[in-house]
Amino acid sequence: MDAHAHEHPNSSPPVAGLLAQFASPEALRAAAAAVRAAGWTRWDVHSPFPIHGIDRAMGLRPSPLPWLVLGAAVVGVVLALAMQLWMNGIDYPLIISGKPLLSLPTSVPIMFELGVLLAAIAAFVGAIALGGLPLYGHPVFFSSRFSRASTDGFFIFLAADDQRFEPISAQALLRSAGAVSVETLQVDEASGRVPGGLYWILATAVVLALLPPVLVTWYRTGPKSNPRIHLIQDMDFQEKYRPQSASPLFADGRATRPTVPETIPQGRLQADEHLYTGKVAEQWVTTFPMQPTAAMMERGRERYGIFCTTCHGLVGEGGVSGITSARAVKRREPNWVLPLSLHTQSVREQPVGQLFHTITHGVRTMPALGAQIPAEDRWAIVLYVRALQRSQNATLDDVPEPIRSQLRPVSP
Amino acid sequence: MSNTTGAEKQTLLPATTAGAAAALLVVGLAGMACAAALEYGRGDQWRYFLHSYLVNFCFFTSLSLGALFFVLLQHVARAGWSVTVRRLAELLAANVVVMLVLFVPLAASVLAGQGTLYPWAAPHTAAADHAIEQKQAYLNPTFFVVRSVGYLVVWWLTARYLLRLSLRQDESHDAALTLSMERFSPLALILLVVTLTFASFDWLMSLWPHWWSTIFGVYYLAGAAVGFVALLIIFTVLLERAGPLTDQVTAEHYHDLGKLLLAGVAFWGYVAFSQYLLIWYANIPEETAWYQPRHGGPWGWMSLGLLAGHLALPLVGLLSRWPKRNRLSLTFWAVWLLVMHWIDLYWSVMPAYDPHQPPWALSDAFCLVGMGGVYLGALIWRCRGRSLVPLGDPRRQEALDFENY
Ligand code: HEC
Repeated sequence: MDAHAHEHPNSSPPVAGLLAQFASPEALRAAAAAVRAAGWTRWDVHSPFPIHGIDRAMGLRPSPLPWLVLGAAVVGVVLALAMQLWMNGIDYPLIISGKPLLSLPTSVPIMFELGVLLAAIAAFVGAIALGGLPLYGHPVFFSSRFSRASTDGFFIFLAADDQRFEPISAQALLRSAGAVSVETLQVDEASGRVPGGLYWILATAVVLALLPPVLVTWYRTGPKSNPRIHLIQDMDFQEKYRPQSASPLFADGRATRPTVPETIPQGRLQADEHLYTGKVAEQWVTTFPMQPTAAMMERGRERYGIFCTTCHGLVGEGGVSGITSARAVKRREPNWVLPLSLHTQSVREQPVGQLFHTITHGVRTMPALGAQIPAEDRWAIVLYVRALQRSQNATLDDVPEPIRSQLRPVSP
Repeated sequence: MSNTTGAEKQTLLPATTAGAAAALLVVGLAGMACAAALEYGRGDQWRYFLHSYLVNFCFFTSLSLGALFFVLLQHVARAGWSVTVRRLAELLAANVVVMLVLFVPLAASVLAGQGTLYPWAAPHTAAADHAIEQKQAYLNPTFFVVRSVGYLVVWWLTARYLLRLSLRQDESHDAALTLSMERFSPLALILLVVTLTFASFDWLMSLWPHWWSTIFGVYYLAGAAVGFVALLIIFTVLLERAGPLTDQVTAEHYHDLGKLLLAGVAFWGYVAFSQYLLIWYANIPEETAWYQPRHGGPWGWMSLGLLAGHLALPLVGLLSRWPKRNRLSLTFWAVWLLVMHWIDLYWSVMPAYDPHQPPWALSDAFCLVGMGGVYLGALIWRCRGRSLVPLGDPRRQEALDFENY
């Protein structure tokens, strides 16, 4: 370009290119085909509306935009899936509605949405970027004719930085292609510079955008006399009644509703006296309501271990054999009553129904455990207590004949 | 614009097709007779036959409904691109009158009150089942038949009106007729969607009288749209070769029809998944009952097959530009999706007959060929002497000129 400037000393600013106007869309299309045939690469057409076939006439290659959009969509889908699998399945495993931790169907809506979102953003930003925007200035705007490009003007602009650019032959090419007028445009130093005001607008926007996070951080770190800003409310502060609170809504003023008289909740009917009370006709039962089995004994051993050992010890001798009791004695708790040995004569003589009753309702200082342990399990514990009692008060007759000889006296 | 008689002649079906129509009708009736004969031996009070018949009834009805939906949509959108393929849709839509005749066996079975097809139709089922008893005001044989006939008549009259106006325009080239159709279409579209929804409730959903899904009508509509566009593509390709549509369609038409097909596939998938997700997630017994048999075993495989064949594969296959513009690849996907649409309906109906596995039978094929023969025969008969392109439409030139970007 400098070379041209030296050749034509009259036109002191360098040439930016040639702008040619055409009379109709058809003329523009034909001219575009001619310019393309001449082998030009740095040029463009301008028209007030899209013209069918102009892309083919110009020899434009298919845009890479569809691939960008597809790529963004795939990234969105994969990202959404990975995010959900990681968050809900691995980092913070939380079962929701009984669904598997790594559940595909629940992830699909987010996958779909994120896929669409990223695809749309890629299409929007991609179209702008591939179109060469933002463009702050262009030589064509220095032509007074060019304002008609948005009403009824059809233009071709040949840029001077094309390898083939040579003012005379380029003029001739455009004229022979049917141009109504051809204009030489100069490079303007000011054009192409970012407008100064834009920096201020951007800076203000950034500052404003930073304000909320800064405020939030300031409020959330360090002691404050006011309550902190609770950003995500979830259901932390919902209106609700707490247990045993008052409510003007009901005649008795209580928010907690008693069960309806004369009704029994589903699955709470306890018609079997033997099974649920350990009594029949006000008498302690001496038999189990179910057939004792090895499985029931095993269940009883396990449940006894969970519910009774802390106080009565592993074999039920009471005293300080249970860890709670040992600790209470060590700390000299003044009101601690030592748990009874389950092997005392009085307890051994109790019928099974009474033992069942003791577990269910407690006795004197022993707490009631009926609410924690289902009736069947309580019976299993009773069975195991019976086995424990037998084990601590066995005689030689309890040992099977063949292995009696293996017994050795224990030195105290 | 070519409005000479010569051009009009070119857009007619060749004269030989009159014989084809008759032959198809004969084949159709013979097919139905074979299916019936095969099923007579089964001795199950036509239970299997009726289920199989319902699949095909809903299939062919859906093709006409998709066509009607398409025509109305073109008028509502004042579309120019589709003018040269719109006549086919108009004829297909008007062909719904055949289904009015083909409804007779279904009506007879419901009125017989045996509950062979719809359990609620039997008085003793209703009496023993509180939920069904409560629905008797709606689900009773007489009202069912009245409603069904009502839907079919509404669709037929709508389609006939549009076809008539469009045919009249062939002669008069009167642009005012286009305006009339455009004014008529929005309300007709609403009426179509409402009646179609209730038809799907009645014909398909009430096979499980306890079950309900408010989106079911949209599901049927989505399937109908896919099935119809697929058929329109096949017809267009065939007729472009055979003559009537030569020089009337361009790659641009295939491109746009392909887009509609792709949109239909995505729409179907969206609706099908929406229905599934809500029911699966809430996991309430009375709602999951419909998916229960389709969730495992052979039906489960078919469900996965639909997921792949009715959604995933065609979605990928039709996504690019070239498979939509290439007649061969587009025809492949059209045939593929037409088959999928039929399988979708089979999968919707047949678990009512056997919840454990697809009960394929030879009579299925005869029933399909039979009803297809009658439907196509009647369609060709309907095309006789009528231009397959709306020659008088003011936007016809636009349809010939337009280009996709
Ligand atoms: C919190 C400690 C604690 C636990 C747990 C506990 N007990 Fe007791 N239990 C006691 C105490 C203390 C006594 C003695 C009460 C008294 O004499 O005031 C006792 C007494 C008893 C007695 C004798 C009742 C009587 O009639 O004299 C039996 C039987 C018994 N417990 C069984 C059980 C069984 C079985 C369990 C497990 C299901 C159990 N206890 C769990 C503290 C406990």
